[in-house]
Amino acid sequence: MNLKELYQEIILEHGKNPRNLRKTEGFNKDAKGNNPLCGDNIHVYLKLNGQKIVEDASFEGSGCAISMASASIMTDLIKGKNEHEAKEIVEDFLGMIKENPELKSKYLSEDEKTKLMCLSGVKQYPMRVKCATLSWHTMVSAFDEEMEEVKTEN
Amino acid sequence: MNIDQIKKEFPIFDEKIQNNDLVYLDSANSSQKPKIVVDRINEFYTKQFSNVGRSVHYLAVAATNLYENTRTSVQKYINAKHKNEIVFTKGATEALNLVANTLGQSYLQEGDEVLITELEHHSNYVPWHFLRKSKNIKINFAEINEEGEITLEEIEKKITPKTKLISITHLSNVTGAILPVKEITQLAHSKGIIVVVDGCQGAPHLKLDMQELDCDFYAISCHKMYGPTGLGVLYGKKKWLEELPPYQGGGGMINEVKKDRISYGELPNKYEAGTMATAQVIAFDKSIKFLESIGIENVMKHEADLVEYGQELLQKNNSVKLIGNPKNKGGVLSFIIEGVHPHDIATILDEDGVAIRAGHHCCQILHDKLNIPASARASVGIYNTKEDLDQLNESINNCKKIFDL
Repeated sequence: MNLKELYQEIILEHGKNPRNLRKTEGFNKDAKGNNPLCGDNIHVYLKLNGQKIVEDASFEGSGCAISMASASIMTDLIKGKNEHEAKEIVEDFLGMIKENPELKSKYLSEDEKTKLMCLSGVKQYPMRVKCATLSWHTMVSAFDEEMEEVKTEN
Repeated sequence: MNIDQIKKEFPIFDEKIQNNDLVYLDSANSSQKPKIVVDRINEFYTKQFSNVGRSVHYLAVAATNLYENTRTSVQKYINAKHKNEIVFTKGATEALNLVANTLGQSYLQEGDEVLITELEHHSNYVPWHFLRKSKNIKINFAEINEEGEITLEEIEKKITPKTKLISITHLSNVTGAILPVKEITQLAHSKGIIVVVDGCQGAPHLKLDMQELDCDFYAISCHKMYGPTGLGVLYGKKKWLEELPPYQGGGGMINEVKKDRISYGELPNKYEAGTMATAQVIAFDKSIKFLESIGIENVMKHEADLVEYGQELLQKNNSVKLIGNPKNKGGVLSFIIEGVHPHDIATILDEDGVAIRAGHHCCQILHDKLNIPASARASVGIYNTKEDLDQLNESINNCKKIFDL
């Protein structure tokens, strides 16, 4: 266990000053997610253009440093990606948080990979994995426009 | 009373938790177990095991006697008038569900009102919510004051001519407030209202006297009382338990079963359907013996000292904000740190071996009222020391350092 690995500078910085913590004007996809164990909640907004490319992504909600940083980094890097690319990135991220040593998606730049890998410290804290993944699951349901709220168990 | 000696009776404190000594401040969630309780479970399974209340062979009779011995111990410990007012359940949650379900079947009518409080744990709200759905009863909430207390006056204010039942916690698992249960019961009974008490936090930390409290039902969680998991106790006044219908059907709870009719067993068997948590019940006797050997007055004094010490310590710590400041307070210190989420606090404290709880502690109504999504909670038990609270404070400081506060 290593707290420094979990609470890296970039996580603390994003946690304190989350990017895109607002409601996208004219959003056309959104979904809510909550973590019934701790009461954290999040609302993800996406604005897709005619070519199904994410023009803007944002979120509202409250949570721990890990969940805020994860949502912040996610909404930043998903802009400019289309649905297919975004979903592949989600799979890649969830795989990395669970078991994979690295990120593989060709849709992620090296810089983006480095940023996301800052969240890899969560692996050692199984109870906190859901904090890192809630916003990602919620974004997928926004794409799919599922009506039900997302609940994470892992 | 020698706390170091008492602590030695708990084998878990010999363990290193991630290379740290354990600073266990999560007893409101569940207490650690003394060796005599752990050993008793082992001994029963190893040398004495049999199902109870059924067969006539030697082991079955002996096990039944042991099982019933615990019932007598519980009766004495909580000063219940009759032995068969003690019903074993799988937990306090089941005890409260039993009460709500059976009162819902035969006593509460559409339009009746149940009064609970904003302090209630979900297990003392959701079972009543079921009746709101199925029987159209109404649930009213007594509100907390600035200090996180529920006063007698507030209860009085919320009673209406339709109030049939008041269900309240004895001791809040978040603010630590101890409710004036005896006075509330007097008031309620003067108006013909039943009183149910969620004693999960009360039972391990307060002196219990059912005849003095005079409440109609009292739910106990054994695993918070230095006892095994999977076990609860429901105290219910004899007249109620006799009058109300059974909760679950099955073996052990019947008198006679025919194709066209079934009659139910006497108390307490009527409410103990199926094979019970036999080993846990038998081991719980040792938990009571453990508490009796220390003396509940000594437990209360020690925990009050700890809370006072911890409260002063945390009040002096900048950016730590304590939740609730009740005059009558049990061993719970809930707090938030401006700028650090409770889950981050709990993870960082854990690194030092300090075990606390973070979240809403199954009290979302209360957290909504306080306008916070979650809180951190340190809660004490008989094995805690002032050094534990010093370590809590030190680890909080480390947490503030990481978050640059």
